[in-house]
This record gives sequence, C-alpha cells and structure tokens, in this order.
Amino acid sequence: MSVLNPSPTGLQPILKPLSHHAPGNFITKYIFSTDHKVIAIQFLFTTLLMMIVGGALALAVRWQLAFPWESMPIVGPWLFAAEGGQISPEFYTMLFTMHATVMIFLVIIPILAGTFGNFLIPLMIGADDMAFPKLNMLSYWFMWPAIACFGLSFTHAGGPASGWTSYPILADLAQASPGSGTAQTYWLLGVTFIGFSSMMGSINYMTTIINMRAPGMTFFRMPMTIWGLFITAILQAFALPVLTAGGFMQVTDRLLGTCFFYPSGLIINNAAPTVGGGQPLLWQHLFWFYSHPAVYIMLLPVMGMVSDMLSCMCRKPLFGYKPMVISMSAIASLGFIVWGHHMYTSGMNPAVGMAFMVATMMIALPSAVKTFNWTATIWGGKLEFNTVTLNCIAFLSMFIVGGLSGIFMAAVPVDVYFHDTYFIVAHFHYVLFGATLFGVFAAIQFWFPKMFGRMMNEKLGKTHFVLTFIGANGTFFPMHFLGMQGMPRRYADPYLHGYLEHLLPMNQFMTISAIIMGAAQILLFINIFYSMFWGPKAGRNPWNATTLEWAAPSPPGHGNFDFVPMVYHGPNEYALVNGDKDFLMQTEIECQPAKPKTETETTV
Amino acid sequence: MGKGWCLFFLFWPVAAVVSCAMAPLVGWSFPYDNAQAASNLGIRIDGLFYLILVITAIVFVGTQAVLVYALWRGANNREERASYLHGNHKLELIWTIIPGIILLFLAIYQMDIWADFRIKKYYPEVAVKDPLAEVTARQFEWRFRYPAIGKKLQQKPQSDDLYSVNELHVPFGRPVLIQLRSEDVQHSFFMPALRIKQDALPGLQIPVWFEANKPGTYDLVCAELCGWGHYKMKAHVIVQSEDEYQNYLKNLTERQSYDGLGKIAATENGTESEATE
Amino acid sequence: MRLRLSHLILLLLLPLISLPGCEQPQVEFVFSKKTNELVPEAAQPVKAALVRQFGNPFALTQFPELPTEFGDIQGAVKTVEPTGKDQPLIRFEATGLTDAYDKLQGLPLEWTSGKGQGQVSRVKEYNFETGMVAVEKSAEIDPQPGDTFLLKCVRLQYGRDLYNRHCMHCHGMSGEGTGPTSRYLNPPPRDFRLGIYKYTSTKSTSKAQVDDLGRTVKEGIAGTYMPSFKLLTDDEVSAIVNYVIWLSIRGETEKKLVDELFLDYSNKAMAERTSKDGGETREEVLEELKDFMEEDFPDTLEFATSSVSEAWEEANLEDALVIPRSARVADTPESRERGRKLYLSEKTKCASCHGPQGRGNGTATQDFWTNPATNEKYPNRGLHDIWGNQLPPRDLHRGIYRGGRRPIDTYRRLFAGIKGTPMPAFGGSLSDEELWDLVNYVMSLPYAGNR
Repeated sequence: MSVLNPSPTGLQPILKPLSHHAPGNFITKYIFSTDHKVIAIQFLFTTLLMMIVGGALALAVRWQLAFPWESMPIVGPWLFAAEGGQISPEFYTMLFTMHATVMIFLVIIPILAGTFGNFLIPLMIGADDMAFPKLNMLSYWFMWPAIACFGLSFTHAGGPASGWTSYPILADLAQASPGSGTAQTYWLLGVTFIGFSSMMGSINYMTTIINMRAPGMTFFRMPMTIWGLFITAILQAFALPVLTAGGFMQVTDRLLGTCFFYPSGLIINNAAPTVGGGQPLLWQHLFWFYSHPAVYIMLLPVMGMVSDMLSCMCRKPLFGYKPMVISMSAIASLGFIVWGHHMYTSGMNPAVGMAFMVATMMIALPSAVKTFNWTATIWGGKLEFNTVTLNCIAFLSMFIVGGLSGIFMAAVPVDVYFHDTYFIVAHFHYVLFGATLFGVFAAIQFWFPKMFGRMMNEKLGKTHFVLTFIGANGTFFPMHFLGMQGMPRRYADPYLHGYLEHLLPMNQFMTISAIIMGAAQILLFINIFYSMFWGPKAGRNPWNATTLEWAAPSPPGHGNFDFVPMVYHGPNEYALVNGDKDFLMQTEIECQPAKPKTETETTV
Repeated sequence: MGKGWCLFFLFWPVAAVVSCAMAPLVGWSFPYDNAQAASNLGIRIDGLFYLILVITAIVFVGTQAVLVYALWRGANNREERASYLHGNHKLELIWTIIPGIILLFLAIYQMDIWADFRIKKYYPEVAVKDPLAEVTARQFEWRFRYPAIGKKLQQKPQSDDLYSVNELHVPFGRPVLIQLRSEDVQHSFFMPALRIKQDALPGLQIPVWFEANKPGTYDLVCAELCGWGHYKMKAHVIVQSEDEYQNYLKNLTERQSYDGLGKIAATENGTESEATE
Repeated sequence: MRLRLSHLILLLLLPLISLPGCEQPQVEFVFSKKTNELVPEAAQPVKAALVRQFGNPFALTQFPELPTEFGDIQGAVKTVEPTGKDQPLIRFEATGLTDAYDKLQGLPLEWTSGKGQGQVSRVKEYNFETGMVAVEKSAEIDPQPGDTFLLKCVRLQYGRDLYNRHCMHCHGMSGEGTGPTSRYLNPPPRDFRLGIYKYTSTKSTSKAQVDDLGRTVKEGIAGTYMPSFKLLTDDEVSAIVNYVIWLSIRGETEKKLVDELFLDYSNKAMAERTSKDGGETREEVLEELKDFMEEDFPDTLEFATSSVSEAWEEANLEDALVIPRSARVADTPESRERGRKLYLSEKTKCASCHGPQGRGNGTATQDFWTNPATNEKYPNRGLHDIWGNQLPPRDLHRGIYRGGRRPIDTYRRLFAGIKGTPMPAFGGSLSDEELWDLVNYVMSLPYAGNR
C-alpha cells in the first residue's frame, strides 16, 4: 500500500487532466455524445426497441404456422382487409426475412458489440474512454440510416422477400420475387450501413484494447469479457469487408447489370432470358465467409461475459482461464474455414464439403472445452440463485443443446437431410436465443447497476427468466422434431404436403409457447424502466466482483475513474481470504490476511 | 430456494429426454412407415444419425446431470468460501482429447457414406450411363422430361421426349440418375423418404443418383427459398416396379401423342394421376 | 410505488386473453369498375341483386337456377341447449352432418319442419367433433328435437375454402384477378369475371368445359405463374372448379346488368344528359331510372342469369367439343414443309404475328391496335387480350405449350383460336389435313436444332 495514497477505494485519486472535455449541454451529453457509456446506453435502448419489432415479426410468423391463413390479429385486418385478414404468401416471406434481419443486424450484433462492448471495454481495462470517441459516436449514428433503410424497404417497396441470406437469383433480379425490386436494394444498403457501423466499432475496440489498457493490465490479466469482445472485433474486421464487397456486387448486379451472380438464359416471371455468365454460388461463398464468423460474433462476447458473471456468482475463480482464451481463439480462427458447411447441398464440389466437414467437427471441440470449464467453475462454488446466475445457467444449459445439435449438422450425410429443415431453425435458435439472449439478459441484470447506479428488481427478473425459459424451450425444442419429420423452413403453409399435415397441433403448441415468451419480455421492459428510476441505489461494487469497472463509481462519471487504475492480478480472484472479503479486486495489491473486525474498521 | 432452482434446471433436460424417448412412439421421427428410409443409402445415413444421436444423448445427459449436480452442491455449500481453484491441466487435457477423438472418429467414419453419396467417381455406372430423366425446377412446380422409350436422355429436348409435371415415376431396385436443373431461381430437390437433398442451381446441371428399395408414393418438396410460392412446390415421386414404370412410360407416350380420336378419347380429359392410383 | 407480482401476471395474460376475441372480418365480393361508375341509384339495385343471388365470401347464398353444384345436406336436431334471454345464439346438437365438410360456419340453414319451416338461418358456429351448431336467435324459429333442416351450399363452401387457400392470393377473393400477390406476376392472373378462359377444348363460341378448367388446375400453365396442383385429389379439383365457375357466373351476371344500364345511367352519361346540351334534369333521369328498375330490371336480371347459366351448361355438351374429323397426318418432313408453307401463306397470316421464323416478332407486334371494347387505340404497341393486357405472340421455339403439349391441344388452338385473344379460329377456313400439317410444323420448331 505504500505506492498509493489511501482513498475511499484504497486507491490513488485521479490527478492527470482528462483527455477530452466533459460535455456541456444536453445535446452533446445525451444525444451526440462521445462518452462511451452514453453511447452504450443509446445502443441498449435502440436494440431493445428493435427487439420488440423483431419479436413481433416472429410472433406473426408463428401465427401463420399455427393458424395458417386465418385472420392474423392486427396485421391482417389492417393490411389484408379485402382478403378477410388472410395474409399473402409473399408477406410471410417478408415477415421471416425481416425477423432474421432485425434480430441479427439490429439486435444481437449491436447489443453485444455496441452496448456491452462500448460500456465494458474502457471500464474493464481501466481507460477513461474509447480510443476514438467520435468514431464511436458515428458507429451508433450509422445504425439509424440502416434502420431507416430496412424500414423504407418495408414501407416503400413492400419488403425484402428473399430471406436474410439474400441468395441470388431470387434477390438479384427484380422479377424473381416480390420484394426483390427496390426493397432488396434498400435492404442491401441497410446491411452496408450496419457493416460500416460494426466496422467502426471493431476498429475502435481493437485499438482501445491494444493501446489503452491500464498499467499492469497485461493481455492475460484481461477479463474474459474483454477477450470475447477483442476476438469478436478481430473477426469482424477480417470478415466484414467480404460481406460488404459481396453486398456491393449484388447492388451493382441489380442496378448496373454486372451479372456477378446470375448465369445467362434464365427465364423468370415470363421476362426475356437473362444475359449473364455469373455464378450464384459465388454469393453463397462470399456471404457465408462473413456470416459464419458472424455466428461467433454473436456468441463470443456472451461467452466472455458469462465466464465473468458465472465466476462472480459462484464466488470462485474461472476454471481454466488460459484454456478458455485459447479455445476462444481457436473458435475464431477455425470459424474462418468452416463457412462451407452451410453449402453442403448447394452444388459445391462434394470433396471440398468433406474438408469443411472435418473443420466443422473440430470447431465443436473448443466449444466443448468451454462448456466443461464453465461446469467446472460452478463445481465447488458457493452459489446464490439470483437472476444473473439463473440466466447464466440457462445460457450454459441451452448452449449445450445448440452445440450438440450442431454435430448432426456438421456430419455431411446427415446434414443433407436436415439442411433447410426446422432442425436447423431449432439449432440456431438454441444458440442465438438460448445462449446469446439469455447471456444478454444476465449481462443486463449484472451491469445495470454500473450503467444506472440502481439495482434491477429480482422478483421481476426471476419471473421474466422463468417465463422466458419455459417459453423458449416450448418454442424451440419441438422444432427438432419438426425437422426430423422433414418440415422445410420458410414454408407459409407446410400442411399442404401430405407428410406434414399432422404437424399442426405441434406448431400450435409452439406458437402458444412463443406468445408466452413474447409476453414475458414485457416484464423485462417494465423491470428496466422501473429500476432505472425507482430501483434501490447500488454502491460501487454491488456484486462483490473483482474486475476494474466495479472500482469505479456507479454510474461512472465522465472519464470513468476517480483514481488511477492499476492492475495487479488476473480477473477472477474469488474464494480467497482477503480481510473479511472473499475476493480480491484487480486494483488491490495483495490479500490481507483475515483480521479481527476491529482492526479492519480502522483501515477504512 | 436454491434447491428449487436446481429442480427447475433438472426438469427441462428430463422433459427433453423423455420427449425424445417417446418421439418414435408417437411418430415424431423420420417420415413414412416406421421412419425407415426407402433406400439403402438412406438407411446408412439414418445409421449415422442414430450413432450421433446416441453419442450426443450421452453427452447431453452427462453434462446436464453434472451441471445440475454442481448446482445442487453449490446451492448447499455450507463452507465459508468456495474452493479456490484456477484450473487443472490434466482435466483440461482429458476433456480436450477425448471429445477430439470422438469428433475425429465421427468425421472419418462418415466419409465413406458421403463419398458413395455424392462423389462423382463413386456414382453407380448403370445410373450414369443412362440417366432416367431431367428434372427442371421452376417457380413453383417440378417439371420432368424423360427420354422416349428405348432412347437416351439428351442434353437438349427432343421432339419425342416425354413430359410430366409434379409427378416423377421411378423404378425401384436399380440406381437411377436424374439431371437436376433450374429454370429460374435456386430450388432444392428434397425427397425426405430417400434422405436426398440437392440444390438446383441455375446455370448448372447437377446429376443426382439414388436407389429406392421399395415401392411407394413419396413427397418431393423444395427446400431452398424460391419466392413467395416456395411452399407450393409439391410433387410426388412414385416408386414402382420396373414393369409398372415401363407401363407408365407407354401410357405417357400414348397420352402425349393423343390426337383427339381413338381409344383414350373417353378419358381424354382425365388426368395422369389416374394411372398412379 | 410498488409493483405487485399479481398485477404483472395479469398484464402478461392480457395479450393472451385478447387472442380468442379475433373474429373473421367482414369481406364482400368486389364489384366491377363499371358498376362503381354507375350513378348510385342505378348501382345500388345491381349490387343488391348480386348480394341476393350470390351472397358474400363468408356468407354464400344458394340460387338454384345456376348450373352449380351447391351441395345440400339433410340434418336433424337431436337436442337443444337451453338458452338464456341475453344469449344471441341458439345452440343445438345436430345429427346427419358427420359426412359433411367440417367447416360449416356461415352457411344458410333452411328449416324443413317444425315451427320455423321455410325460414333460413345462418350457421354461426359449428363444432365438427360434437356436432354442435349455433344459429342466430329469432322470433320465427324455435328448434325442437326432431326438427329437420337443410344445410345449403356445403359443396360450394368446400370449394371456396380450397380456393381461398390455394388460389385466392393471385386470383383474388372475387375471382377478379387482383389478389395481393397478383401485382408481382407476369402474365397477370386471370380475371374470372368475364367467364372467358383461354385453353379450352370447345368451339370458338363456347365457354370452357369443366374438365378443361380441371386440367388447367392439375397441369398448371407452363411458362406462367399458374403452377400445377396435380396433388390435389380429383374431388378437391372439381370443388375448386365448381366455385370458380360460380364466381365467373357472378361476374358475368354483373357485367350483363351493368351493360344494360351503363349507356344511360353511368356517372358520365348523367353528366352529359344533365348538361346544357342534354337538357334533362337529374330528377327526370332518376325518374326514368326508377321506372326502368320497377318494370324491366327483374326481367333483365332473370335473363342475364339464365343466359349465363345456359352458356355454361351448353359448353359441357358433346357438341361443344372440338374433335378432329380425321386422324393426325403423319409427322413427316413433307407434312412439316406443307405446314411451313401454310404458316407463311396469306391464307393463315400466321407470320404477321408470330413472325416468319416463329419467334413471336411479326410485323403486327409493331402496330398500334384498337381496343374492340372501347374503339380506342391501345397506348402501347402490339397485341392485347380482352382483359386489356399486352400479349406478345407466342415464340414457337420455346417448347412451352401453355394449353398442353399434345397434338390435339395445338390442333384445338388452331381450330378454335384462343378465346379472349387475337388468335383467330381456323376451323372454318382450313381443312383438317392443313390443320394437322400446321400442327406438325409448329410442334417441330423447338427441336429444329437439337439433334
């Protein structure tokens, strides 16, 4: 303790001037803010708003599957009054296209990188802000043109209808499908904007993490959250340009007739045969070269955050910190060479499929290692079952299902059957909803006190958790059975086919589960808004956690820390004897042996 | 409270296992009679599926059980502190190597099936020499072109080719090959009963072979989003004996060259499905 | 402020509670553009007559004069549920309905015995499992166990439900060809309301046979978005065709009525007649209209209905069918050559539309044509069909035969022309041998370079 002067946290008060001025008026403080915390909160509310939109779209899709061609509530009488509320099949394709688009590009990617990346990176590594605060602001504001484009795509031109994968020729030629006209161009522009936004974010995160770590914060003392976000940023920086290029090629195909993706001689919608010489597979390669790593972009940050939260909630150091880091890096690097497993049946060279299959099998390995490590972290821990813990365990429990069903998909011959059936839908919803969103729910609950200085309501949080968990499993688990029975995805009316007729009751059960799940999210919103204003005040470190952000005030002021953060330890030092505490913060020099109570009071 | 939560997390894997166990009994399994594939290759693929299912089921039950047990212990932990443990190299090595071996085994084990299934070198010679038909997917139906009886399928349509729509007849007991193409956007030739799926890629002609081993009427659907009517691409594949198949071709020839007079006049507006029922 | 958990659960349940409250919105058959251009006083009786005779999509009406299979089902009341004063519905358990279709909501139910004999109620609810039927309460009816009734339009309703599932998205609720998906399609879906169908086996003046429509449904129309519905059963197809023809009859009846009134009582005519040159007052015109409505309209309506019905009945007679007088001429190079000469000759003028090479690019495609209905030139070059759509002549090299690829199909296209299009009928002007030569030539074109 000799180097540092005592302060409320036992740390040295801040002396150096801030790198940039504190914002003055309302607009620079809350709207065009360059403060990473404000930007993170902007991202949070925007993505939550978009989650409502995406969820509503999902419910509309489920409605059609459970009650095909019956009057769709609200939407039907509004848009399809002349048909008695019965939606049209192309509207259904637009619904699931937009559901995927909104959920992936406007909810999951921005809530992870945008909200938690922005909020946690500077705080956890002990920086006073991002490396490029203006770029950071821009990355948030580039989301809005994207939202505007997606919105315009729907209102102005009927909505894109070729799935979020936007496969040519369907998406390439205006006559191929309703919604492949202007709507598709808007959609592509929207994706490009989102790409810009993510790109700016990822450059910023990489720079910040590499250059702005607090003294003592070596790479292997970084919390897992930072590792997750760091690797995600690298993934994004390498994969995204490919998608942007591909998207641009599709735009030029559509507007300038460049024929990258369509061969000659196609006769679509009775139009003249196309000229061309392109190859539809090219798009699939380009698209999946980004979109497979994108799956990990949607997963790795959560893996990191859950590692930290679990370790804190179990009051136990993370089991196998280095293996976790290594497996994360392995996932990221293998993630670049498995994109072909989305294309086993596409007509790609089958021998290449075999190579992709081996790589895909191998990528299951690091995920397995991580699962075992998390379980081992819980083993021998001292658990408190609060909302954070519950959501983290739900993450783990459902990630196991998502991971295991992935093995079926990796096996080429089996995948041939399951490709584009509901089995796939089950798989990625278990990963993206089951794992990612439960992780996000946990993270919101966990870092909420740091964001707003108040705790979230436990009762509401638990009710929300239970309903969501039951709803999610009720919705997504039966999808495995639908897939086994060969029900293809993206069917507006699967019951036309004799072998699928008997699936209606199962789909109705799933829809009811989905409605419960959707309704449960109302609780989340109530909880957030209620707790923002009326929740109990939180201190600096309500969870008794060890990482740097908990040493800062809640909420942290401009410049984050009121002391110079110095790091002396790895991130998850729990379960040891440190005075009357069982944890050692990264800023604390060393453990204090347990002392009688009277003495501890004097040191404070 | 903690115990209650442990039961909560125990409940759902149990429900999952129970529903999976009863799935074949209530018909939540592969479609058609007894969930058995209608081709030998399909049966091999199912075998692979069941192998993976057993492995994943063991892993699933194991991990969930350990998780719940760990939770149970964690909830009832009466120690003052959790155990201070940063990791264990031996354990890490074990649980890296064992799954690694299993995964590698799975990867190598299935290569044979995949090679027989798709690698052109291993295609059955009989089927390659004499393709059965050309299958053209278009928005939103399947169109089939057979060569005239006694002739071979040509790349380009011939005047005596036989055409049908949404109804493919196939003989069983011998491997057959179809040339798959698309007239407009991407489609996917999906026959659940035979565990076959192949995208129809515009601009390419993709040969697909299969060998049905029992007669029956199976669904042929489209598995790649092809526009608003994706769900409408509904066809039947009718697997029948060689004799019946030849008869069908004869009927088709007769019907297709019908000039409004003569014997089939009475049923001239009758549709082809009559011949199949 | 404290939030109680119970309040929140109630809040959560709200969306669930609101779901069963969703009812089928009211939908009406649409009326043609011309009907809506009539003065309101003239349009109103036309619309009323149509609703009377045909009902609405979710409340079909039986009108026995039509050549439509309505499908009556005899039922009897088994037990009646006691109803309270405020309940708007009478519920009873019925027998005899089990073989019927499982969705009977909206159907007319005519009492054939008991107090309400002769009265017609509408089925409001029906449960297939229990056989419970609910009808609206009224003073005239008082169902007692043992009362018999006739359920009408069951077959028609079955056709409607199939139509709404498979066809409505393109062809529209009223068969007007403007369903929500139609705006993306080229060629546009058929408007059934003119009662004209292109690919038929009948003579040029006849309507389509039931089997022709059935075949179109089953085989689809190659080269268009009309897919093949081959996997529907024959019974389903015939129910759909039955409903489609019924929609056609409705449209044709409407057209006949409106044509009668349009010249004198359209908004435009009214404006002209009441202008300075016309010299009439609006009251005078309306007086005249009233007279017409009272004296002539019932007859007009009856004539319209019966003439349309007869036309459909006649089309299904043996006489209407085009049957070649001689067998197909052997498909030899000589025959094709003769066909080619005929194709290029002045006698047939095939080349003027289909082009000298059969590429569908004849000189006629460069002309401005006159719309026979309005006597005005079309705004675009090229041929048009009766529905007002541009219609390029077929490229005969494509090997796509919309009306079927059998020789007899091509023969019939030549013999009777294609209804609703400028393709003329050659049945009168060419001999059978000549027709077959042409068939042989045309059908050889797609394969000319493929050997």
